[in-house]
Amino acid sequence: MVSKTEETQLNSLENQVDNGGGGVWEYLCLVRKLKVRRSEKVLKHGLSILNDPKKRSALGPEEWTLYEQVAIAAMDCQCLDVAKDCIKILQKKFPESKRVGRLEGMLLEAKGSWAEAEKAYSSLLEDNPLDQVIQKRRVAMAKAQGNISGAIEWLNKYLEIFMADHDAWRELAEIYVSLQMYKQAAFCYEELILSQPTAPLYHLAYADVLYTLGGLENLQTAKKYYASTIDLTGGKNTRALLGICLCTSAIAQLSKGRNKEDKESPELQSLAATALEKDYKQRASDKLGLLTSALRSLKI
Amino acid sequence: MAEDLVLDTAIRDWVLIPLSVVMVLIGILRYFVSKLMRSSQVPDPKIVKEGQVIVRARNLRAGANFIPPKSFRSRRVYFNNEENGLLFVPKGQAQNAQAQMFSDPNMAMDMMKKNLSMIIPQTLTFAWVNFFFSGFVAAKIPFPLTQRFRTMLQNGIDLSTVDVSYVSSRSWYFLNLFGLRGLFSLILGEENATDDTQRMMQMSGFGFDPTKSLGAEKDGLDIVQHEWALPKFEHRAEAVLKKLIR
Repeated sequence: MVSKTEETQLNSLENQVDNGGGGVWEYLCLVRKLKVRRSEKVLKHGLSILNDPKKRSALGPEEWTLYEQVAIAAMDCQCLDVAKDCIKILQKKFPESKRVGRLEGMLLEAKGSWAEAEKAYSSLLEDNPLDQVIQKRRVAMAKAQGNISGAIEWLNKYLEIFMADHDAWRELAEIYVSLQMYKQAAFCYEELILSQPTAPLYHLAYADVLYTLGGLENLQTAKKYYASTIDLTGGKNTRALLGICLCTSAIAQLSKGRNKEDKESPELQSLAATALEKDYKQRASDKLGLLTSALRSLKI
Repeated sequence: MAEDLVLDTAIRDWVLIPLSVVMVLIGILRYFVSKLMRSSQVPDPKIVKEGQVIVRARNLRAGANFIPPKSFRSRRVYFNNEENGLLFVPKGQAQNAQAQMFSDPNMAMDMMKKNLSMIIPQTLTFAWVNFFFSGFVAAKIPFPLTQRFRTMLQNGIDLSTVDVSYVSSRSWYFLNLFGLRGLFSLILGEENATDDTQRMMQMSGFGFDPTKSLGAEKDGLDIVQHEWALPKFEHRAEAVLKKLIR
């Protein structure tokens, strides 16, 4: 993930480059290092270097890395001709390279000729069945074709071997949520929490899934995870605050007949409600009425 | 009497400098040869998977208290059960690294290539130095040293009366062999420097057994006491909110 200092550095550099202040190569290096997706800028500034023979030769062997970066950015912007040119140059320089083969597969994919791209990828995978990038491309391709169950299948196959790749778990979790397969999604979010126990976003997403699943036990657990999100974000997360309110009222409804009060933290809901009201008053006072009516409907 | 020893300038021109130049050239040559011989090996899926299993099991152990008890227990069974758990290694299957090396000729081949590119030039240069330049003093260090350095600096001269600050030609060879790393990293780039001492360390570290770390991870998971941390978080959240509202 990109840290805050890195992001500010990137943004200031981007600003400088946009205004013609130089440092284009440094900007492109930083984009590559942080793996952020700023394809339009990369395409524009990368091409400005590549089209200038003097600047291009000054890069030395890094020139080819830039060609690759620009090719990928061009495919992302649907400038397929530019991508094609870049790949052709790389192909001439590295005729046997698998990395170029991967780019060609991606170009086929960008054109939408799925069957040919699939063929290219599977022939590359025959040489090296453990190529993570190509396996992930396959997932993306299945998703792009709308073949969600296929994407799940490929992802599961990938995770069977690379089970410590939390980005893949996250993708799988989001796919499961989009298909309303909440139990599976909950499992994926547990996996994400295990890999990064202090990332509040995973706690929040897990709580959301549990709340959606419903049932007394799940609701109580969801409330706990909303609470942990509040703790980890210092109470700044509106969604978690609302989640606490919703969970408490849902729990109260479910356990009404059984007369079993949730004694663990009776104050939490009212505190969350007050914090919400305060937050709304500060940042969106015109929507305060909506909030109070919503909270009233939850009988708080 | 040691002060009387005068070194011929021809020794500087024909021994000291050529020796260093040859050592540098051989180092560069060796780098390119090993680059040519390096084969890109395809990693074994089983080994990759074992590494990933270990990382995931370690995550589970470290973050156990952040997931509900039920989820933790099901994961532990998934990793540790005696039938098909991921961390469970059947006794007979634990194949040791030595046997694996013999079963995989590629691995032995790789080792041999590495060894060849390291040992052959070294023996050749050593023989060359021994043949042409053995047994005389090649340089003088501009500061005095204690007797302990005699073995390091005067290899090949068996005279106890010579001052320690004189360096024999064979010792000059050794000093070059181990001391040129900085120069190589300048010439060939930081990570390409061929360092013999480091490579020898790597060789001795060979024979790492993944099944052992799987077993260790399994034992570690077995003794984890699961204590769900989340109930505590409700109170902490209360405290946070109280502070926020105030």
